[in-house]
Order: sequence, then C-alpha cells, then structure tokens
Amino acid sequence: MHRLGGVGLAAFERQQQSQRSFAELSNELSKAQVEHLHAQMDHFRSALVRFATTHRDKIRKDPAFRHAFQRMCASIGVDPLAGPRKGGWWAEVLNLGDWQYELGVQIVDVCVSTRERNGGLIEMGELVRLVGRLRAVEEGTITEEDVIRSIKTLKPLGAGYEVIDVGRGRKMVRSVVKELDGDQAVVLAIAQDEGGRVSEELLIARRGWAVERARAALENMLLRDGLCWLDEQDESGSPAYWILSAMHWDE
Amino acid sequence: MSFLTLAPRTTPSGYLLPSIHSAAPLFTQQPNPNTQAVVTEHWTKLILSYARHRRLFILRVEDAEAAGNDWDEILRNEQINRRLLPSHLVYIMADMVAKNRAVYEPARQTRSVLLYWRTPEEWAEALHGWADSTGQLNMILTFYDIIEPPVPSPLSGIPMTLLRKAITVLAKTSRAQIIWVADGEGVRFLAGNTNK
Repeated sequence: MHRLGGVGLAAFERQQQSQRSFAELSNELSKAQVEHLHAQMDHFRSALVRFATTHRDKIRKDPAFRHAFQRMCASIGVDPLAGPRKGGWWAEVLNLGDWQYELGVQIVDVCVSTRERNGGLIEMGELVRLVGRLRAVEEGTITEEDVIRSIKTLKPLGAGYEVIDVGRGRKMVRSVVKELDGDQAVVLAIAQDEGGRVSEELLIARRGWAVERARAALENMLLRDGLCWLDEQDESGSPAYWILSAMHWDE
Repeated sequence: MSFLTLAPRTTPSGYLLPSIHSAAPLFTQQPNPNTQAVVTEHWTKLILSYARHRRLFILRVEDAEAAGNDWDEILRNEQINRRLLPSHLVYIMADMVAKNRAVYEPARQTRSVLLYWRTPEEWAEALHGWADSTGQLNMILTFYDIIEPPVPSPLSGIPMTLLRKAITVLAKTSRAQIIWVADGEGVRFLAGNTNK
C-alpha cells in the first residue's frame, strides 16, 4: 500500500503543512483574480455608463438601436432595464427606468381602456399600435420587444399581465387574471385567421373537434369569460362568435 | 386573405358612424350581462348623438321593425347585413329611461321614448339664453312662439313635453312664469336671480 509522504507522525505533519501552503496559495491567487475581476468590472461598468450616457437619447428614441443595445447587454449578462429605481445607477444614468415605467403605464392604459370591448385580451400588433398613438412623436416608435419587456417589469405588480403565444408567432396580451385553457388558445388562433369570427362549424372543420367540445369552448368564452360576442344574424344561419380583439380596427 | 377592416364611416346624412357600428355582434343582444352592458352603452351613445345630429326627439320600437324611417342609418347596417332587432331596442330603451337619458313618451307605455340628447336642465338654459339674447325677457310668449319662431332658433321644433319640462325647471328658480293666455298657455321669461 502506498502511503502519501511516507509513514508515521512526521509524515502526517508534513502532509498538513503542504495542504496549508496550498490553501494559502489558492487564497492569494483567487484574491488576485477577484481583484482583477473587480477592476475589470469597474472598467466595464464605466465604459458601459459612458456609452449609455452618450447614446441615451438614441437608446430612448431609436427602436433598432435600443434593440442592439439590449442584445449587447443581454449577451454579457446585464439587464439595463431590470429593476428600475432599485437598480440604482442604471435607472439614474440612463433614465431608462422611467422610460420603462412610462411605457408600462401606457400599456396598462391601452389594456384597460380597450378591456370592455375585448374582454381583457388584446392582439400584440394592436397594442403596439395603440401605445404608439399615446406616445408623443418625438419619443420615437416602440416595438413588440419593448412591450414584452415592459410587461415583464409589470409582473411584480401582480396585475396578471401576460404575453400569450397563440401559435405561429402571433401573440396576444392578457390583462385580466384568467386562465386560458388549451382549447381557448386554439379558438383565439383561428379567430385571428378569420378576422375575429369563429363558429362551431369552423372548429369542427379545422380541428376535427366534436360538436360538444366546440360548443363548450365557445360558450365558456362567451358566458363565463366575456371574451367574445355573440352574433345571431350570421349568414350561416347558426350563431357566430366574434373575438373583438382579433378584429381589424381602424379608428 | 383580406378582411373587413372596421373603420368609421360617414352616412349620407353626414353622420360619422364609429367603427363599432361595423361589428356584426353589436346587433345581437348579448347573453353575458357584462358584454350587454357594453353593447347597451354603445347603442345609447349612438342613438343620442345621431338624434342630436338629425335633431330627432322620438324613437319608437317600430323604427326597428321596418326600414324607411329616420333611423335607418344607425338601426341598420346594410354593408354587413345586420339590423337592431325590435326586442333588443326595447331593452336598450328601458335602460336609457332607467338612466335618465330618455323618458317614455307618452308615459305608461314602453314603445316610444323622448330622447334626452340634452337634459331638461340643459334645454332650460338654452331656452332662457335664447329669450335673453333675442330681447324677449319680460314679454309674454306662447308655446307656439317658441316651438315655431319666425326666425329659426335652437329651440325650433322642440316637443311640447320637453318645452314644458324646461320651463318648469326655470320656474323653480323664478326665471320663468307660466301664464294663461287667450289661446292656451304662455310663458314670461324673467332675468331672475343669477345667484339663484
């Protein structure tokens, strides 16, 4: 059997001694590394601050530039827009905390003011368009990405704002605390294809649903959730259901 | 694919219909009470603003029963082939009466309403303002002088019931006196105490 450092008490002492030395060396090394990292971080931070300050207006106004900036920050694990106010220096340096809050307020404004006609579910494009209309021209345009980010910052408020993917890259924003089941998501997707109109026949033809399933999904959306409106004068002769948030509005 | 885009539209009478008027389900009475409240509010606003635009005072259930009346432009939408059904209109009229945006006229029936696109209080102010600006304070006017004045006024064509309500409002603050004249009722407008 091989014994490390020989045999006996002396060997044991020797082993302990070398372990201590290794630990000391390791401590010194990591301390140096940490210091180096700190220096780098400080350097990086001031560079980022300088960059952000110089380009603040452009970040606020130009959606393409903002997107590039956010991508750059994300790739190095920094979120310039996260935690405004408490984030401290970011919010102050960039003024982007306010920017994000402001956008959040505008999103809430649009969602609440259109809620009565769409039941608290708004199509992403429509939301972006209406928020854009609320904003002063000089503030520049906003993108879907900005809205999604802003909705994330609204999450701690517990207001239930959520981005829902209804398939094929199309998104809707839900502003009421309501669980959408899988069938309702399908109905929403079809309504978007059809300019807002859905019917039992359509769900049966497109998805092969049983009549009962189609009826239940539509009745729930109509009576329980208030997400769609009934049309009894549809040309088909049977009731049609309209999801107002999926209709094409020009106001 | 192309869809009907719901856009505002100007009618032949020059009224700007809001885009919601092109939404097919607006013409159906909704089973969900919250949704129906929204629908009722849309119709109430439509009816009152159209009435103001055309100076219409009376809406009847019959107006929804057959085409060919003053209300065709809003009670129907030929482009999407929808119309407001009489039963739905009865419901909307009841809601308007409950919210003091109309009154049943005549009373004790539910098929015809007098529309308050101006409330009696607002009519009272318009009436007093007209009498004042045309130098007719302290003169005795018959109701007929007001309803059909020689020079058209903001009061021209006001229904008798509404005129009477407006005068009653003014009488309460001593700005009008109802007077019996040879051929019926008359009214004298007074400067009144502006401080009330």
